Amino acid sequence: MVPRGVAARWRRAATAPGKGQGSLGGREEAAAGRESHAACLSPAGQPLGILDGIPIAVKDNFNTAGIETTCASNMLKGYISPYNATVVQKLLDQGAVLLGKTNLDEFAMGSGSTDGVFGPVRNPWSYSKQYKEKSVPKSHSEDKESNWVITGGSSGGSAAAVSSFTCFAALGSDTGGSTRNPAAHCGVVGLKPTYGLISRHGLIPLVNSMDVPGILTRCVDDAAVLLGSLAGHDPKDSTTIQDDFKPFELPNLTDVSKLSIGIPKEYHAPGLSSEILALWSKAADLFRKAGAKVVEVSLPHTRYSIVCYHVLCTAEVASNMARFDGLEYGHRSDMKDSTESMYAATRREGFNDVVRGRILSGNYFLLKQNYEKYFVKAQKVRRLIANDFVKVFRSGVDILLTPTTLSDAAPYTEFIQEDNRTRSAQDDILTQAANMAGLPAINVPTALSERGLPVGLQFIGRSFQEKQLLTVAKWFEKQVQFPMIQLEEVKKHDSDVFHHQKSASLS
Amino acid sequence: RDKPSAVCGVSAEARGCRGYRAGGGKVSVEVLDHLEHLALVDFRDAEGVERLQKAIQFADQLHEVNTNGVEPMDSVLEDRCLYLREDDVTEGNCTKELLENAREKVEEYFVAPPGNIPLPKLEERETFLQGSQ
Amino acid sequence: AGRGRRRASGLTGVVVRPHSSRSAHLAPWVPVVGLEIHAQISSNSKLFSGSQVQFAAPPNSLVSFFDASLPGTLPVLNRRCVEAAVMTGLALNCSINKKSLFDRKHYFYADLPAGYQITQQRVPIAVNGSLSYSLCIDNKMSQMVTKTVRIKQIQLEQDSGKSLHDDTRSQTLVDLNRAGVGLMEVVMEPDMCCGEEAAAAVRELQLILQTLGSSQAVMAEGQLRVDANVSVHHPGEPYGVRTEVKNINSMRFLAKAIDYEIQRQIEELENGGTILNETRAFDSKLGCTVPMRDKEGQQDYRFMPEPNLPPLILYDAKSLPANMNHQQVINIDWIHERLPDLPSVKRKKLVEQYGILPEHSFTLLNEDGLAEFFESVVKQTQMKPKKVIGWILKDLLSYLKQHSLTVKESPVSSFLLADLLNLLEKKEISSTAAKQVLAELWKGEGKTPLEIVKEQKLELLQDQKELEQICQAVIDGHENEVMAIKAGNPKVLNKLIGLVQKKTQGRSNPVLVKQLLEKKLSG
Repeated sequence: MVPRGVAARWRRAATAPGKGQGSLGGREEAAAGRESHAACLSPAGQPLGILDGIPIAVKDNFNTAGIETTCASNMLKGYISPYNATVVQKLLDQGAVLLGKTNLDEFAMGSGSTDGVFGPVRNPWSYSKQYKEKSVPKSHSEDKESNWVITGGSSGGSAAAVSSFTCFAALGSDTGGSTRNPAAHCGVVGLKPTYGLISRHGLIPLVNSMDVPGILTRCVDDAAVLLGSLAGHDPKDSTTIQDDFKPFELPNLTDVSKLSIGIPKEYHAPGLSSEILALWSKAADLFRKAGAKVVEVSLPHTRYSIVCYHVLCTAEVASNMARFDGLEYGHRSDMKDSTESMYAATRREGFNDVVRGRILSGNYFLLKQNYEKYFVKAQKVRRLIANDFVKVFRSGVDILLTPTTLSDAAPYTEFIQEDNRTRSAQDDILTQAANMAGLPAINVPTALSERGLPVGLQFIGRSFQEKQLLTVAKWFEKQVQFPMIQLEEVKKHDSDVFHHQKSASLS
Repeated sequence: RDKPSAVCGVSAEARGCRGYRAGGGKVSVEVLDHLEHLALVDFRDAEGVERLQKAIQFADQLHEVNTNGVEPMDSVLEDRCLYLREDDVTEGNCTKELLENAREKVEEYFVAPPGNIPLPKLEERETFLQGSQ
Repeated sequence: AGRGRRRASGLTGVVVRPHSSRSAHLAPWVPVVGLEIHAQISSNSKLFSGSQVQFAAPPNSLVSFFDASLPGTLPVLNRRCVEAAVMTGLALNCSINKKSLFDRKHYFYADLPAGYQITQQRVPIAVNGSLSYSLCIDNKMSQMVTKTVRIKQIQLEQDSGKSLHDDTRSQTLVDLNRAGVGLMEVVMEPDMCCGEEAAAAVRELQLILQTLGSSQAVMAEGQLRVDANVSVHHPGEPYGVRTEVKNINSMRFLAKAIDYEIQRQIEELENGGTILNETRAFDSKLGCTVPMRDKEGQQDYRFMPEPNLPPLILYDAKSLPANMNHQQVINIDWIHERLPDLPSVKRKKLVEQYGILPEHSFTLLNEDGLAEFFESVVKQTQMKPKKVIGWILKDLLSYLKQHSLTVKESPVSSFLLADLLNLLEKKEISSTAAKQVLAELWKGEGKTPLEIVKEQKLELLQDQKELEQICQAVIDGHENEVMAIKAGNPKVLNKLIGLVQKKTQGRSNPVLVKQLLEKKLSG
């Protein structure tokens, strides 16, 4: 097991790359409290569970009793939830130390972790030796600071926290790729389990029919451990399936010759960088050479998943955000003329432009005269997208292999040129379809780009076949030997932090 | 092909015309006003309106897909049966905890300003849309 | 008052005659009334949360995190509420949908914390039923007609909280105790044509709900709330524009409100006006309907499937899955087999079993516990049920009504009444004496009928000789009457019987007296 004190060292190490309001929202007091609690219990020789003493960070859209839960929005600044999300409770029950709440895009609406009220999250790789050596400043005079790259999103804080060794693992959420996308940009494992396998109770929803709590770790084995601690029916979430879930350990796959890996041709999406395309081909070759069957497959409707998602997401956002009116909790405007005017003023002050924009579009799509044309139409397209996967898996394919992102992480200054919707449309394009179909998918960090930034590939599996998916991902992880982040400044302070990767992983 | 920004433009262009172009169609000021009433969220500025235009235009791509005979899909769990709980009292009695997060309260009540008053009409409301009628 | 009187023509007939001479040439108006009834489900906990359902409690004490719409909370369906809706659907001859869906209906209101209500808009749990109800013509119990109204659907939905408007401090106090309580919305097709029909239909529904136990359906406690859709048109023409009348909180006001609204619309139209599609509230103090300030015209509820609740699947004996946790299965057939006797069946049984009049069976069921009281008395007495019913309806019921008591609160138990009726049946007391005993029994002093009879010396004269002497004395003292009888006027005999009764202070058996007198006079 993990030695005591690891958490504290992780935390010290983490302050270096954080650089202000970056990765963690500066709410560490609660974690410190829990830490001492765990420290009290562990020496007695009575570990609470498999995660005893393990520091874990949680995206700030999961409710944590007694600790501020903000969704990085003015609307919930200062909101103290009276209850724990089921996944948070499960972590605590197993002895995990809640290290802190991680930053995100406001209400998880975004793909950069740049659109939250606490400011953007900086990718720890911006401060890595690997990036600094390879990135060439445009001009000599240019401030080094402006070179930092985004984490991707919306679970950017969680990905950064894991990537920078701030914690052993982190919870994210994944609606259109929000766990896998930042995992890819930050060089960590990002697992989106099958819809219905992990409770959403206490996760502040973006799109209820697609949201899944995500798991961010540094290796696939760790993801399997977390999954084992979190999965299973929750009587507080009617969308968790009632079948029993048995935690599993991942075997070391030695023979992949019985595997059939599908390469969906539609994932050669416009904008896919040649670098990633090459990496993807290499990965396919890797499987082929090891004896696996690698076949090209077609998911013809996947290209519409972003459009479909756009309509279904905004409609649900319009509905889910209706509860934020300032009456029972959250921000409340001083307006006193009438209930409606108070609500309107509260919502004007509490939401950012992205959230407001989605609320308005969603309401437009739900209008009586538009409902069939947009909402029902999108639901039909959703079925076509989901059916594509059913057909492919029925044809004998076990796992799909695709890129996770179109390119490596963009510098912040570049990223903010485009508006949020356009960015999301581009960034979720390779990840979103799995949410439409509810399928499990995982990002496995694969290599560094020419700029010295992480690039990941995605595996998509059959519903509730997490074990198979993770087993294959683990095999792949072993083959590619993704390099470790080298944080120069951290090294100076605490050079032994990196040794903990081995001890941190429970394998 | 129309670029939405060229048509919707900034407020200077928007004012004076009764509506905005969206995906070849027009979203009238009436509909925009209606949306502000229903959503209790305002467009704030021309960009807000433009965002809606673009969102609609983007969504219109759905109509390229042939969905004849396809049933809409609400959820991937549509074939699983809904979980039922027993009729037991397990919650409640947490008035204090609930009221703790409310900004305004009287005794054990939540407090709202006077009810049954709709938002003021477009011309009396503080909204970007006002100038565009 | 004028409206009330005019209403009379609309009571039983299908049409209301136009009263204005200007439009006398026109066909009469046909009123059309449809109802939407919200019945609170009788359950321990709420529809989607585990907080308690209770009528009166300190504000916001029966509220869960979900009821207060805290972010991240999710609905979990209460099995009992589903069963109550299935029972009600079956009792109303509906087809039960094996698969029904939940939807969100969006609008902002201070007592609707989530900004939407979870309801069943697309596929409700029960559809296409009917309800038969009876009403009497011209207020005469003896002339009853039975009518049927179609039930369009029954849907499960959440109740809202309560807003208390404090105008002086210009604020609204919000109590969420009621928020999330399970409701069945029963939609009745516009098959009714006046307030009385609507009231009779609602009354029958109320009885059914109470019999099933699916709702306590007490209007005064808001467990049964009725909205009426009212329009008028000329025969053969399309339906007129309808208004929705809300805030009807008693059965009495239901008929009044609807009849007022019918008359208002007719007058409006006859005066050349138009009817607006609007929501109106019934003001019980003024006895009229007034427009409600609302957004009906521009309201758009933006219905959307509730993504947190997969489809609700119900089973029957055929489709029952073998290997499923039985706590997760609702079997329609199983519920059907266990339905209690519905009021209509109970009435039929009462009529057949006891030979009472149909209208009496209505009265028996209309009072909670009265039918049971009646049956209990019948069991404990030798008196024929046909005779017992008179005592129940004329004596017991009118006494209870007079003193605003329920059957359960009656000072005279079914046992005491049966005791009394047995004395009467055994001819130990006369019916006049029985009434006297009953009057004594109401005092509830714990005396038995026999004790009262003894105390007040009310027993019938059992001594035939004494009675014969009294009869003889009466004959002797009334020569004129005797002459009249002998001359062929037998009616005068009744006078003599009365005189004997008077002399015996009501303690003589009139049948016996009659026999004795006849015997003596013919001799």
